[in-house]
Amino acid sequence: MEESVYITGIGMMTAIGDSVAENFDSLCQLKSGLGFTNYVETIHRDVLPVAEVKHGTGALANMLGIEHHTGLTRTSLLGMIALKDALSSAGIDDTAGLGLINASTVGGMCDTEKVYFDIINPAKTGDFLDYIDTLDCADCTQQLADFFHLDGTLATISTACSSSANALIFGARLVKSGQVDKIICGGTEALTRFTINGFNSLKNIDKQPCKPFDQQRNGLNLGEGAAYLVLESAASMEKRGAKALAVLSGYCNTNEAFHPTSPSPEGDGAFTAMQEALLMAGKKLDEVGYINVHGTATLNNDISEGRALERLFGSDVPAFSSTKPFTGHTLAAAGAIEAIFSILAIRHQVFFPNMNFSERMEELSISPGTELLHNFPVNNVISNSFGFGGNNASLVISKAP
Amino acid sequence: MKDSLNNKCFIQAGSAISPQATFDSDDWSRQLIASDTNRMECIEPAYAAFIAPNSLRRMSRLLKMGLTTAMKCLQEAGITVPGAIITGTGKGSLQDTERFLKNIEEYSERALNPTPFIQSTYNAINGLIALQQQCTRYNNTFVNRGFSFENAMLDSLLYLREHPAETVLLGAFEEMTAEHFFIKERAGYWKPGVNNLNFLQQGNTPGSIAGEGTAYFCLSNQQDSSSLARLRDVEMLYKPGAEKLRSSLQQFLSSNELKVEDISLLLSGENGDARFQQYYDAVEAALGEVPKLPYKVFCGEYDTSTAFATWMASKLMGSGETPLTVSNLLTKPYTSLQNILIYNNYMGDQHSFILIQKA
Repeated sequence: MEESVYITGIGMMTAIGDSVAENFDSLCQLKSGLGFTNYVETIHRDVLPVAEVKHGTGALANMLGIEHHTGLTRTSLLGMIALKDALSSAGIDDTAGLGLINASTVGGMCDTEKVYFDIINPAKTGDFLDYIDTLDCADCTQQLADFFHLDGTLATISTACSSSANALIFGARLVKSGQVDKIICGGTEALTRFTINGFNSLKNIDKQPCKPFDQQRNGLNLGEGAAYLVLESAASMEKRGAKALAVLSGYCNTNEAFHPTSPSPEGDGAFTAMQEALLMAGKKLDEVGYINVHGTATLNNDISEGRALERLFGSDVPAFSSTKPFTGHTLAAAGAIEAIFSILAIRHQVFFPNMNFSERMEELSISPGTELLHNFPVNNVISNSFGFGGNNASLVISKAP
Repeated sequence: MKDSLNNKCFIQAGSAISPQATFDSDDWSRQLIASDTNRMECIEPAYAAFIAPNSLRRMSRLLKMGLTTAMKCLQEAGITVPGAIITGTGKGSLQDTERFLKNIEEYSERALNPTPFIQSTYNAINGLIALQQQCTRYNNTFVNRGFSFENAMLDSLLYLREHPAETVLLGAFEEMTAEHFFIKERAGYWKPGVNNLNFLQQGNTPGSIAGEGTAYFCLSNQQDSSSLARLRDVEMLYKPGAEKLRSSLQQFLSSNELKVEDISLLLSGENGDARFQQYYDAVEAALGEVPKLPYKVFCGEYDTSTAFATWMASKLMGSGETPLTVSNLLTKPYTSLQNILIYNNYMGDQHSFILIQKA
């Protein structure tokens, strides 16, 4: 019998709130975080909507009581606020021996890109040199570890849009194997000119608020944010008198092996990821109450994810929604943010609607739920995260015993 | 304190592209190639034998190096589709990252070619290997400076414990570009005016010598006559301080039922940087008379240099001989290789022990 993995703490910061509580309120008030950027220097600033956290980098530092923040990137600061929220939710004061499995797709690019051409210019010197080591993905992880005195297992995962789902999977396996008794897992992502132009060059960004699973969908909106979950063994929970918020009962990581940036048309990787995650969780198809889909609103993702749902569940596809019209697509942070939304759905028995939907896709016989529902019975949620490089990850989150 | 993973994990094949002749031949064992400067560059093989011409044209340097090393490793192990593909890289494709940053600037964010953006993604190489070999199973990429390869190794050990009948393709890839070399130079990473033959002799100044490389391994639970070595365990320590480093080494050895005198060889990551020598000194002092080989003479300093050290350890174990290039650098000769310990720290922050045993 494998050890169960409990979730004992959750923390987040997104465009719809600075904490889990604020995020829950925004979801229930149908408040989207989409708008235009205040902080990214780009020609697309008034054209491409983004879900940006509503604080400047200096204000984020102030929220943490940090006076001098040169060298600290927005990626790190978003992560610190979310991680603080998670530790307080878990009731953890003493972080000795505690580890962090972090996720990031472009690390500190948000700040590095502003000074990059100064850094490579031998004639220039100045404060910007403090950002010289912030370009890689380990920088934010180390900043978080140093700020919270985390000296346990440290890792950063970068598998594009599935990064923080894979951070949760890796953390769960470390707990199950007895390598750690508890660990923080999640991801952080700041908006950058680099990624906005990257996705725009792929013609993947909608100039309107995104419409997941809609016939008229025309691409994604990028977002930023951070989210962390504390995973813990039963023994550790008992020892410190902690309570489980939910159980990470199943997970699976697969690869499409189809195309560098497109999923297979029939959603083979998504199908297997969901199927095997449910098998591990020991849950039957009809026990799944809600699916928080990846639902980027790109042409390809929604077809293949939808086909995978139809193939797996047949005519009884559970209620599903994409929460990306609220938070934007937060890339490396998306898996952890949506895992927390899944926990909130279970704990509050609520269904979060798929906003901006009006017309069913011609390729599918299913459509997402569009109404906010309270007293919605749900004990098991599938949360999907699919990314570039064919990296797929599905999580099953279940009600705490 | 955690238990040893104590997996049955055997290295069935290993391949490496490095600044030495390690890919197409065994020439690295007979002749150590000297670098002209404080930047060691990989000897790149002919890629056409491994990658189709139309793909080759679009791929940047690190993608070609990474994919080719992976293909060679799978060929040597006689594996087409591994159970899992798990890699580590500190920086991913720097060439593509730099190119996309410049394209954004040069073309004022208009009509950009997405290829460098796609290839700059850290998991791009993993995706390509999966695509080329039609491997639809577990796939993961770790990006944590001096823990990148070690994390991938830990994930591989866990995976084999969970899936004993499967195989794992474990790898690491890193490149140095002229531009990134300059950035790191500004941050004080390099020692001026040295090459790989003399940088360790200037240990009283900061800085090291830049390196790069790719290395891949096929891992299996099943030992057979082709097994090169056993990958026994890996331990990571974040900013431990010399005292914790010493005690952690003792714990690492004892949790693997070893004493100091059981270690046949230390592959040391010492890099000539005066700021970090204290840690190497502490490990050496704890190991007493154990013969030592400073492996960065072969490959230089980079985030995933321990992948090169692991490749070298598995080759030394597999051949059972002491190559000339190795004996020339050993502090004293070793007798038989039973256990090789790799110790490295990256910029004093990420410290790791890797234990390779005779199969």
